[in-house]
Amino acid sequence: QSFKLLGFLDVQSVPCARESVLYGSLGSLVVGLGHFLATSRVRRSCDFAVGGFLSTMLGYWFYCRYNLAQQRIRQRMLKEGMQNRMLFEGSYLDPERNQTGNERSDS
Amino acid sequence: MANHTQFGFQDASSPIMEELVEFHDHALMVALAICSLVLYLLALMLMEKLSSNTVDAQEVELVWTILPAIVLIMLALPSLQILYMMDEIDEPNLTLKAIGHQWYWTYEYTDFKDLTFDSYMLPTTDLPLGNFRLLEVDHRVVIPMESHIRVIVTADDVLHSWAVPSLGVKTDAIPGRLNQTSFITTRPGIFYGQCSEICGANHSFMPIVVESAPLNHFENWSSLLSS
Repeated sequence: QSFKLLGFLDVQSVPCARESVLYGSLGSLVVGLGHFLATSRVRRSCDFAVGGFLSTMLGYWFYCRYNLAQQRIRQRMLKEGMQNRMLFEGSYLDPERNQTGNERSDS
Repeated sequence: MANHTQFGFQDASSPIMEELVEFHDHALMVALAICSLVLYLLALMLMEKLSSNTVDAQEVELVWTILPAIVLIMLALPSLQILYMMDEIDEPNLTLKAIGHQWYWTYEYTDFKDLTFDSYMLPTTDLPLGNFRLLEVDHRVVIPMESHIRVIVTADDVLHSWAVPSLGVKTDAIPGRLNQTSFITTRPGIFYGQCSEICGANHSFMPIVVESAPLNHFENWSSLLSS
């Protein structure tokens, strides 16, 4: 079962979405409550709360998606490296063979 | 394939589709932020007394010009990156021709052997138990997995469109014109699509089925079919 925020964003299946919304809510609470405690102005505190929600949510979203993209690139490189290792094992292109060859020449 | 109540994309089976799904998630998050802000402003305005005292609002005018520009840049940059990525032409391992007819597809593998076959939908009366209604065909398009495939799409009679959603491919088949598209399948599997341009009475009944298999299986299949 999926839970769609505002009817379109499936927070359970989209990576980073759930954490972004939760951190955004926390940020909204902290900023809004903090501003109210400091100034006792309700309307302005609500404005700050919404601003805090948006900035925290989007800020965490970009941070999380950036890390996710880096992870995916590393996964692809790892997969390609594993495939190449199997492909080149024992041949002149095998990097481990080159290393062993150098050690032998040094000793 | 998509299930009956599916709204979202099918699982991505090619790198381009993975990028498209990522971009879609990003666009939806931006849409959520905008909708939340608009909802809040609407609620504020409903609670506000009407007044005509405002004559000048330079600061807010600046904010609501710059912020949307930033939002558009946030959306445009990844969108253009994927657009150009889709148009990258690398050396393909296999070229496949897909020709649309009323109401079936013809596929030609002419790289190494003259392999041509028609692909008709399996009628529901002839469908084996457990197969997908209106999606299965008598001859699937078999391709090697993790290989760059180029598809040249054209049509013999009227407009058709060769589409496979999980691969992120949709190309119009136009009579007298050759359109090119390419993709790489990241995993083995069977990927379904349907004709995506209205082409007559049986437009809904000319599906596309792409079967991605390891290279040795593909070689066995092509040897069997051409013999």
